[in-house]
Amino acid sequence: MKVTLNWLKQYVDFNWSPEELAERLTMLGLEVEGVQKLGGEFAGVVVGQVLAKDKVAGSDKLSVNRVADGTGERTIICGAQNHQPGDKVALILPNFALPLKAGEKEPFVIKERKVFGVVSQGMMCSKKELGLGEDGDGIIILPPDAKVGQPFAEHLGRAGSDVVYDLEVTPNRPDLNSVIGIAREIAAVTGNALKVPNVSGIQNPESRIQNHVAVRLDEPALCPRYTARVVTGVKVGPSPDWLRQTLEKVGIRSISNVVDVTNFVMLETGQPLHAFDYHLIAKGAEGKPTIVVRRAGAGEKFKTLDNQERMLTPDMLLIADEQKGIALAGVMGGANTEIRDDTKDVLIESAYFTPTNIRRTSKALGLRSESSYRFERGCDVGIADYASQRAAQLILETAGGALVPGVVDAYPQPAKAKEISLRFAKTTELLGVAIEPEQQAKFLTSLGLGQLPIANGQSATFSIPTFRVDLKREVDLIEEIARLHGVDKIPSTAPRGAVGTNAFDAVYDEIAAVRRLLTGLGLNEAQGQTLVSKAECRASSAEIVALSNPLSSDMDVLRPSLLPGLIHSLRHNLSRKNNDVALFEIGRVFTSVNGQPKEERRVALALTGARALAFWSGDDRDAKLDAMDLKGLVEDLLEHFGLRGIMFGKRAEPNELFLESAAITLGGKVQLGELGQLLPALAKQYDLRDAVFLAELRLDELLARGNRNKSFKPLPQFPASRRDLAMLVPEATTHDAVLQAIKQAKPANLESVELFDVFRGKNVPAGQKSLAYAFTYRAADKTLTDADVNAAHTKAVDALKLKLSATVRE
Amino acid sequence: MSLLAQLDPLKAEALAALAAASDLPTLEQTKGAFLGGDGKFTALMKQLGTLPKEEKPAAGKAINAAKLELEAALAARRAELELKAALPKEPTDWTLPGRRRAVGKLHPLTQVTDDIVRAFRKVGFAVADGPEIEDEYHCFDALNTPADHPARDSQDTFYVGDNSRLQTPGAKLPLLRTHTSSVQIRVMKSQPPPIRIIVPGRVYRRDNADATHNPTFHQIEGLYVDKHVTVGDLKGTVEAVFKDVLGSDVKLRFRPHYFSYTEPSLEIDFTNALVKKLGKDWLEIAGCGMVHPQVFENVGYDPEIWTGWAFGFGIERIAMLRYGITDIRLFYENDVRFLRQF
Repeated sequence: MKVTLNWLKQYVDFNWSPEELAERLTMLGLEVEGVQKLGGEFAGVVVGQVLAKDKVAGSDKLSVNRVADGTGERTIICGAQNHQPGDKVALILPNFALPLKAGEKEPFVIKERKVFGVVSQGMMCSKKELGLGEDGDGIIILPPDAKVGQPFAEHLGRAGSDVVYDLEVTPNRPDLNSVIGIAREIAAVTGNALKVPNVSGIQNPESRIQNHVAVRLDEPALCPRYTARVVTGVKVGPSPDWLRQTLEKVGIRSISNVVDVTNFVMLETGQPLHAFDYHLIAKGAEGKPTIVVRRAGAGEKFKTLDNQERMLTPDMLLIADEQKGIALAGVMGGANTEIRDDTKDVLIESAYFTPTNIRRTSKALGLRSESSYRFERGCDVGIADYASQRAAQLILETAGGALVPGVVDAYPQPAKAKEISLRFAKTTELLGVAIEPEQQAKFLTSLGLGQLPIANGQSATFSIPTFRVDLKREVDLIEEIARLHGVDKIPSTAPRGAVGTNAFDAVYDEIAAVRRLLTGLGLNEAQGQTLVSKAECRASSAEIVALSNPLSSDMDVLRPSLLPGLIHSLRHNLSRKNNDVALFEIGRVFTSVNGQPKEERRVALALTGARALAFWSGDDRDAKLDAMDLKGLVEDLLEHFGLRGIMFGKRAEPNELFLESAAITLGGKVQLGELGQLLPALAKQYDLRDAVFLAELRLDELLARGNRNKSFKPLPQFPASRRDLAMLVPEATTHDAVLQAIKQAKPANLESVELFDVFRGKNVPAGQKSLAYAFTYRAADKTLTDADVNAAHTKAVDALKLKLSATVRE
Repeated sequence: MSLLAQLDPLKAEALAALAAASDLPTLEQTKGAFLGGDGKFTALMKQLGTLPKEEKPAAGKAINAAKLELEAALAARRAELELKAALPKEPTDWTLPGRRRAVGKLHPLTQVTDDIVRAFRKVGFAVADGPEIEDEYHCFDALNTPADHPARDSQDTFYVGDNSRLQTPGAKLPLLRTHTSSVQIRVMKSQPPPIRIIVPGRVYRRDNADATHNPTFHQIEGLYVDKHVTVGDLKGTVEAVFKDVLGSDVKLRFRPHYFSYTEPSLEIDFTNALVKKLGKDWLEIAGCGMVHPQVFENVGYDPEIWTGWAFGFGIERIAMLRYGITDIRLFYENDVRFLRQF
């Protein structure tokens, strides 16, 4: 909503600066989104009157003049000769600039200056100096009826200075989509009276209107009120300057006096109006038109003012005569009855349409207007007749003609005034500041609410004016009191009260710990898009949660996995020459289970490029990441959760994502996730040059099953004995198989078994590999003898030979 | 020459030889040459027995003193040479870049979220959570959003599932939550008052990505419900937390606004040196208000007994302000040069 300072001042007195007004409105909840100062033309130039003219001692040409400027008198030294005492002149005051002339870079600013010992306090201007013509010989002599002190621009009928405010009106306050509505807020704050334009001249007990028009409401639910008024014999033409300028300042194009009046009154009162050419409305049997407010027929065509033919549906409300539609109710008038240059008689519509219906129609047709904007937010059903009167008054004033006395006001069920009770103590309780009951009531009545005379000390009941559609219950009144009291004046109270609890609180910390662990391991945290392309998801359509209304096919489903997003991030980095990237993400993924969307948290890792940061020496400085780097990270992560029985099950074949991969399970049963190397073909598709390693784990599962209980084990008291074992085993023998075989042999006092070398090549037959393990034996209660250790170790070695066909290397 | 007369030249010779030994083997040889079994000094000591009885004490004392002196010189020189031997062949250039271990960084959004959560936890808030796929009830209805409110529009909100039902009135498709406020409802429906929670999380709006929009972004929601909670409490707590998060020079301004689920509703503007540097007086940062009695009724709390306040704001916005980031999309590209800066 745009409004100007000068316009507002017509309805309420206030003496705030333009900046202070912006601040006050903002703090009332009417956020000022923009302030535009219109310098207007001829800033600082006023109509002056020469009171006396004398010679300047020491100069032939100059005169010293006493000039009235409307507020006082000034001394002006002037070089022109063409003026006499009593002449009205164009006087520019000091510190204002003359209009910029062609070729000038900066405007010439008039300063007070001393000439022949006399201080000249301004300048009387020639036409040339004001850019009004080439005549620079003498100063402008204005007609005798020019008003001394009037801004020169106003004298000329041009736009004077003003300030335009662009206000954000919240959807609950449709009454503020009007200049009067905003002025009412200012009136409430200042205590000054709201000056609503007087239209008493329009009101007329005689009602000859009945002979000119009838109104039939077929859909009172969608149009509870419709008023029609007729002005005859108008002369359509350009609007007067004040009307044209007022509209243009707030960004509305001037069309003609009659149309401009309807727009002006809409902005002034908030009530959208429409003007029809009375003679283009079909007349019925009685020789007068009947306005019918009905639903459009299915497929009914209607050409709106913008010359677009619209296909209507029965959901849409149409204003019609007995033959045809003439306006799309509340949205836009029809081309067939619009005001033309030769229109003589005007029918003014001022009606109330229910918000939901207007909103649906406007949306369905993709057609929005100042009118639909206001109706869909909720207009003031009570103001329809006043706005019609005001429009009639201004049409008569700007376009002439004669008013047909009276109004057709179809309003079968007038709205009953709502009443809301307020317990004064409740205000204090909610706001935390004590406001006297009298003051509370005063705030509310200053906003136009009526106080019913049944007040006791504790509470009062207020009647709600129809323009305040947002006031529905007690707390709404308390908000009004808060606004007028000033939210900034409510004292802040230090945090106090209950300490919160929520089951998730601990989980938040557990997730944070996982993040810290992974950053400590050298991975950067990523945040990927939740919305991804279906084409990039491995999951089947049945498992994917798709958007009903995606923005594009790039983002048409909810991610079923964090991996596609991480692969994208790798690509982004590689394309920017960040070749070594290690990322992790913790986030939710979405899958459809039996048609129901299900969300779960996961943690995923993605690595590519060099194993270590760049360094300037060392044989392995260029080493690339490999599968065991990924495995190590996953092991660190899993260890953090303290889970037992984790298994890595190798998948026999490549799949659609992985070249080599393994499923991570708890005891082969509970799926925890997967890890592996990205298919080279896919990597190539994403311009990833080095091998890419990916892992994804089900974080919710890990959090739920994790065991973070720690208990102290005494440090060993007795020394350990180590036995190394190198053996040849078939290539297919896994490390896990070795451990299982040893475990089953149950060698006494075996504390740990660590793999320290894997070798293929010299002295190792093809199809075999050499594995070297360090066995550590230790007893809790004594130092083991060699015999003890050897006996146990032999048991382990024998089991390996037997079960794995291992050949021990001596 | 008397034994004592030989002592001083021999000692001087030995000290000079020890000092001259340039490495440990030479030093050990030198030691042998003087103090070893066949060493010159040992030979001198052996002569002690040949002296007359009355000369023995003085000579013995002198020889012992000389021996101690030599042994001390030997130990000192050995320490010197051992230290020399331990030095690397190539001296270390301490200005060289060291061998660094990779250390990852938390995403800036995580860091900002953690800071905000920490600030709220100090004043008694617990972290809560809720689903990102929501229903109309929790996201809109229970929050007092009018049935035909534009926020519900499929232009603005992502719906999930069968798109043929999108236009069906009352189809009640699941949706991606447009704000974390839906968690207010879930928590109040599952816990009796008092409530004091903060909810960080992802939310979704159907905006095309540009410098200031991403269809996915993060919000933090706060809710406090108790007896006798006032607007003053809301202001006090929010001020305390924002001072913690944005610095103690921050100034806040509360002004009336409108949200369907709070009454009165307020918007919060803040200012500090940074805002002034941006050439602004105030920057909008959060919305808040007193929980609407209708919302309490919807979750089964008696608004005559319980009052409360709620607020919400965007995490990206805070992170962008804090770090001077001008494009929201940077948060979701995960460029490591970006991530490493925080």
